[in-house]
Amino acid sequence: RYTRNLVDSGNGKFNLMILCWGEGHGSSIHDHTDSHCFMKILQGNLKETLFEWPEKKGNGEMAKKSERVLRENQCAYINDSIGLHRVENISHTESAVSLHLYSPPFDSCNTFDQRTGHKHKVKMTFYSKFGERTVC
Amino acid sequence: LPVGLAQWFPALEELDVSGTGLAELGTELLALPRLRTLLAKNNRLGGPSSLPKGLAQAPLGRSLRVLNLSGNRFAEVPPTLLGLRGLQSLSLGGNRLHSIPPDIQELRSLEFLYLGGNFITSIPPELANLPSLSYLVLCDNKIQSIPPQLAQLHSLRSLSLHNNLLTYLPREILNLVHLEELSLRGNPLVVRFVRDLTYNPPSLQELAGRTIKTRNVPYAPSDLPENLVRYLSLASNCPNPKCGGVYFDSCVRQIKFVDFCGKYRLPLMHYLCSPECSSPCSSASQSSTSQSESDSEDEASVAARRMQKVLLG
Repeated sequence: RYTRNLVDSGNGKFNLMILCWGEGHGSSIHDHTDSHCFMKILQGNLKETLFEWPEKKGNGEMAKKSERVLRENQCAYINDSIGLHRVENISHTESAVSLHLYSPPFDSCNTFDQRTGHKHKVKMTFYSKFGERTVC
Repeated sequence: LPVGLAQWFPALEELDVSGTGLAELGTELLALPRLRTLLAKNNRLGGPSSLPKGLAQAPLGRSLRVLNLSGNRFAEVPPTLLGLRGLQSLSLGGNRLHSIPPDIQELRSLEFLYLGGNFITSIPPELANLPSLSYLVLCDNKIQSIPPQLAQLHSLRSLSLHNNLLTYLPREILNLVHLEELSLRGNPLVVRFVRDLTYNPPSLQELAGRTIKTRNVPYAPSDLPENLVRYLSLASNCPNPKCGGVYFDSCVRQIKFVDFCGKYRLPLMHYLCSPECSSPCSSASQSSTSQSESDSEDEASVAARRMQKVLLG
């Protein structure tokens, strides 16, 4: 799967990280735990699909709002009031690299099952921190 | 490829000719004795002479470890590359493949296989005979079912099946104890219980195969044609704990939902060797004793919990 590599933890006010996406790698649909999220494409392309928040009970396929392909050097922003999204590298030939800034930092979020809208809290982990591989 | 390439660079280990518009890789390739990595992505390869004949017999047939032919126009896996016994990584992503040849099992050293973004409709059970396969990508294809034999891929760590046409999974998927990643999004997985007890009576070949397996009739590879030896190696055990039977292609199918670590309910297809067998997990619409229901639920959920980071996205 894609890797999350922490570059800078600010002064506790933000997390700056680099995500590396192999061919075909994609994220789940997720929220952003009330934080601001900026994303910049450093290499390759990433497809972002926006989803509406599911109804309280979450029953039935989640509704897509929009989708777009972000090219190299393009930026995107999201927060919980805008909605949820899935980010994917849909290329089968090129890998992709993106830079993410989250403020305030968060280490858990909810992932959503697209078919039912059911959410599940997950803890997010880093593949590496400040250039050092984190041991699981 | 430039003529005399091997004379200029006899020690060449890595060659990247991606994005050069090549329609053919010529015989100049065969003279590179130390080539370990060949990247030829995003070209115009796909015709019958895309790869030079005698690829497997050349010195690089033994030295080549990584081959990337993604983003080309291959309509079939070129048979010449199936003889690359040392190949560890093969990518044919983003081509025009409609099927995977059973002879893919010849790539005995294969650890990484990327076939995403093609038009593949089914997976040959022979794929399960690759002993070292740990990373298998089949996303963005037209696959309708997964052969249960795939559960024999004991080294499998990552299985990518997203964006296909799967409605259910074989129950045996729970046996992949080393599987750390599984992607299933974008498949029309059934969300309601489906009762399907259609049963095609087994063929004579299947009946003979079952007898050989269940009665432990001894045989040596020299006793049988090669295709039958392979057929016999693909037997699956009936999941009914009270039945010691095996089946090959003919089986009763029942769909049972299994909770993965309490997160997602996945429809798993139970194959049973005959209508007389009952699934270890009884059907939801029957009112069986609560004891046996919970026992079989536990068995399934324990197996499901063994899968660690299941990426269902």
